[in-house]
Amino acid sequence: MHADMNEWSVLLSALPDFEPPAAGWEAVLAARRRREDGNSRRWPVALAAAVLAAVAGLAWQLQSTQRELIAADPGSTASADYADDSVRAQNAKLEALLASLPEARVMRGSTAFTVSQLEDRLAFVDDRLSRITLEPNAPEHAERLWRERVELMNSLVQVRYADVASPL
Amino acid sequence: MPRIADIPIPESVAIAARQGDERALEAVYRATAAPVYTLLRRLVRRPAIAEELLQETFVDVLEHIGAFEGRCPLPAWIRSIAVNRALMYLRSPWHRSLEWLDADAGRLEGLQSDDPAAARSSEPGLDRALMRLPALSRAVVWLHDVEGYTHTEIGTALGRTPSFSKTQLSRAHARLRDLLADAGTMKEGAACTPT
Repeated sequence: MHADMNEWSVLLSALPDFEPPAAGWEAVLAARRRREDGNSRRWPVALAAAVLAAVAGLAWQLQSTQRELIAADPGSTASADYADDSVRAQNAKLEALLASLPEARVMRGSTAFTVSQLEDRLAFVDDRLSRITLEPNAPEHAERLWRERVELMNSLVQVRYADVASPL
Repeated sequence: MPRIADIPIPESVAIAARQGDERALEAVYRATAAPVYTLLRRLVRRPAIAEELLQETFVDVLEHIGAFEGRCPLPAWIRSIAVNRALMYLRSPWHRSLEWLDADAGRLEGLQSDDPAAARSSEPGLDRALMRLPALSRAVVWLHDVEGYTHTEIGTALGRTPSFSKTQLSRAHARLRDLLADAGTMKEGAACTPT
């Protein structure tokens, strides 16, 4: 097994390098100037995006708290009952993982926008889940929503993790 | 081709670069640009995206070189920035890659490339087979087999577990073998044929 790994390593390492673009260094310097110019012009937009993300995050946090309160009431767990144990366990694991990530004091505008979009979609899914018991195909629909929720949480964790891991 | 982390940068150049000396930074760029660009091409495949990520990587280097503490070789630090940049791109909803990444594990069995560039590629053998792997699998293979990342490091970079990385690698190797066999480039009993 180990020898196989080494062979792959040898074969792949022997593939030729790609040639980077000509005048790449000059392009890097120009890109830095553009970023500096952009930063000085765009900071109000970035600030607005950060505020929006914070508001969306707060709303989502409030909804999470509400969900926890509802979940504590055995009579209000109808939608959760429709999800199988593995989906709920995955969801709980992702919630815990997300909660364990340090809060970003400063976030890129694009990241804040992505996080905001994901949290909006999560809020929408949670809202649907809270009304699910009234629908005729509640079990099937709830299961789909729970799976979508897990996918959204997974994406959110990935984006937040990348933001935390990034050196910016 | 040496691993990026093993590229020799003279200590004096690294120190001058950390102090913001532009000539030293340019020397670091010239020493590392080709392997970093190769890494990016292997991860994101499309040349235009790789060029943009290369620029962004080195703009990050210029902006944050003062914060580099020298706890790892300078090329390894640059590589970590490039890998973060590439993974951010692959996760970006603007490039449909959230779904792409999440769906990769399930797509390994019925592998198809959705990249027209790969479909058109006339590059033979392993190169072409590698480029036909889904993004996540290709990233795991390249980071592990070429850049020497451990499964723990790959798991951390991808926000997954080390065993996820091991599984991906094993499946990707199997898929590479299949693709090479299909292409008729693997000769029976050849010494260079991983089994």
